[in-house]
Amino acid sequence: MSIHAPEANWFKPPSGAERTWIGLALAWCLVLSIMMPYWHFKGKQNSTGDSYRVTPAAFAARVEQFVKTNKVAEINGVPVVEPSPGGDAYLQGQMWRWYPALKLRVNQTYRLHISSTDLQHGFSLQPMNMNFQVLPGYDHVLTITPTMKGEYSIVCNEFCGIGHHLMTGKIIVE
Amino acid sequence: MPENEEKAAEVFAHEHEEEEHKTPGTVVLTLALLISFAVYYFANWKALADVWHVR
Amino acid sequence: MANAVAIPASHEESEVITKPVGNHAAGNSRTCDTTGLPVCLTAQLFIRLNAVLGVVALLAGGIAALLIALTRWPAVHLLDPVWYYRLTTFHGLNMLIFWILFMEVGILYFASTTLLNSRLFSKGMAWASFVMMVAGAVLVDVTILGGKADVMMTSYVPLKAHSNFYLGIILVAVGTLIGVANFFGTLYIAKRDKTYAGSVPLVVFGATAAAIIAVVTLLHGALVMIPTWLWSMDILKEVDAGWYRLVWWGLGHQSQQVNVCAMVSVWYFLATLTTGAKPLNQAVCRGAFVLYILFINLASAHHLLVDPGVGASWKIWNTSYAMYLAVLASMIHGFTVPASVETAMRKKGHNRGLFGWLAAAPWKNPGFSAFFLSLLIFGFIGGITGVTLGTQQINILAHNTLRIPGHFHSTVVGGTSLAFMGLAYYVVPLIFKREYYARGLARVQPYLFAVGIVLMSLGMSFAGSYGVPRRHWDIEFTGAQFAPGFGSGAHVMLGLMGVGAVIAFVGLLTFILLTVAAVFFGKKIENRAMTPW
Repeated sequence: MSIHAPEANWFKPPSGAERTWIGLALAWCLVLSIMMPYWHFKGKQNSTGDSYRVTPAAFAARVEQFVKTNKVAEINGVPVVEPSPGGDAYLQGQMWRWYPALKLRVNQTYRLHISSTDLQHGFSLQPMNMNFQVLPGYDHVLTITPTMKGEYSIVCNEFCGIGHHLMTGKIIVE
Repeated sequence: MPENEEKAAEVFAHEHEEEEHKTPGTVVLTLALLISFAVYYFANWKALADVWHVR
Repeated sequence: MANAVAIPASHEESEVITKPVGNHAAGNSRTCDTTGLPVCLTAQLFIRLNAVLGVVALLAGGIAALLIALTRWPAVHLLDPVWYYRLTTFHGLNMLIFWILFMEVGILYFASTTLLNSRLFSKGMAWASFVMMVAGAVLVDVTILGGKADVMMTSYVPLKAHSNFYLGIILVAVGTLIGVANFFGTLYIAKRDKTYAGSVPLVVFGATAAAIIAVVTLLHGALVMIPTWLWSMDILKEVDAGWYRLVWWGLGHQSQQVNVCAMVSVWYFLATLTTGAKPLNQAVCRGAFVLYILFINLASAHHLLVDPGVGASWKIWNTSYAMYLAVLASMIHGFTVPASVETAMRKKGHNRGLFGWLAAAPWKNPGFSAFFLSLLIFGFIGGITGVTLGTQQINILAHNTLRIPGHFHSTVVGGTSLAFMGLAYYVVPLIFKREYYARGLARVQPYLFAVGIVLMSLGMSFAGSYGVPRRHWDIEFTGAQFAPGFGSGAHVMLGLMGVGAVIAFVGLLTFILLTVAAVFFGKKIENRAMTPW
């Protein structure tokens, strides 16, 4: 009985189907565990958390510098900025926009720096559906390679105040 | 071995035989869990393999 | 139908050893007419108080749940953004913190007194705990509804709420901690006074595991909430966003493991009450609870898998501590619980085929149906989605999407809350000593709630797989600079979520109305056993 004291000699090793199940479950847990280091070395999608301390003001200055040097167009009044392949790109999350819009080349690799100048934000690339956390004070660097052409949107998926649902951005891959 | 003790040992062994439970229904239920688990889990790895590369 | 509760059969096994005597003061205990178990009257008072407050929080959170679900259903889009975000905050705290914690303190009092034949350690501590928890909960709710804390349950810094919001949470946490200390005190005096012989019953063991995890959890809560409270009053200059997330989730996720432990204990309890089930192997069941204590805090890392500030090896190690031993624990309970029911049912002669025992189970008893549906929903939906989402790299696809609430509504609502509802169908007759009215409705209620929660969780999960964010007022992005928009698949899934939420709410309301009617107006049970379900 689960609600009465057990017999005095209750300690015994598992047996029968129970024992088999524990073995099977343990083996499955091992598979689950091994998948992550395996993917870390062999997989192409990893969140390594590569990041650096940065003050919001310093990060905003870097973004401005990046926009000034690499701006190629404008949509909806937002600058479209094209970083050089293999180079650094900057994206600023703030209440309530992702700034600036980015233009990337397919199958080229970029170091995409993302940070926030106010609250926490959630970088959510749609419809690709890739999601990363963005924190003020942390320059989160994604070494990213777009593998498909198209127009993508960035949504904010960390609550950041009353205009949270209006916070969007754009990445164009050509 | 005194007779009494022998009997006690017999009773003990018998009791433990009775403890052997057959639970085939639960085995099927848990195997179904394990299979759905594996399908969902690896379907997610497959979906992950299709997105942009990132490190 | 004398044995409403299937206990007598193995009562003997504990009586063989010795006949321990309780430590109750004269006149401060009674013997339950249904189960023959001793009930400490002080504990009974606080079990009642906690249960009532828990149900009040459940009702408040439930109304908010319906309103926010109807907002996220794009075809309805009920609330304005201010009230959507405000009630999302309100819903999270009332459901995940207040309803659950009130119930859990009640469960701890029950397990340590009735099942150990002991008196409650301290009436004063029980009052202190209760008053602090109520004061804290009221303070939090008033602050939120007054528009001073639109910060979500997680209140991620530097998003700032009024200082009373943090103070209220601290009060609830300290109140709970005092309740947990009272539980340990009761364990101590029961042991000292030898009110029971041998090892504690399995349900008490599970409750102890829950209490130990609760202490660790609440200490994390103090560690993160006190500095944040000081920061909200401008005494501290800054709280680091990354540090906050790390420590907050030591509270946020571990508290869910308290729920898991309490829920599994309730499973064992209800399995025994409704089918006479007994664990096949005590060592296995207890071992699995120990695994929870040792390994469960790893789930805290699952919220930081796509964060900056922590590296790949930190993430991979903390996802599994090299081995998913807490997952193993749940998989073990997932076997031992139904196996104990199967064994008990087969012993009663229900031996036909693979599932004859399951078909013959007491499905009309809401205590059983709630427990078994809780087991199925927790395992098949909650468990599978949880481990998958908590896989380091797969989290890239899932972080902060609706897949996350899809997961935890199937664990903490379809699992824990449903199990607690099943428990209530026994707590009311046995502790409040009142009969339920409309018993036919009570028999249907667990199914109604379960179907609703399953539809809602699946709707959320699959909408999240399309990328739909959580905690988001308008996925049409009306008026935004760029309008991403989501396809028809996502809309269908959000509709499914909405329909499920409405059904679940009807199930919830049925539960609350039945329980309130029973507690306040139900037929009294004096000197007789409860009417069996």
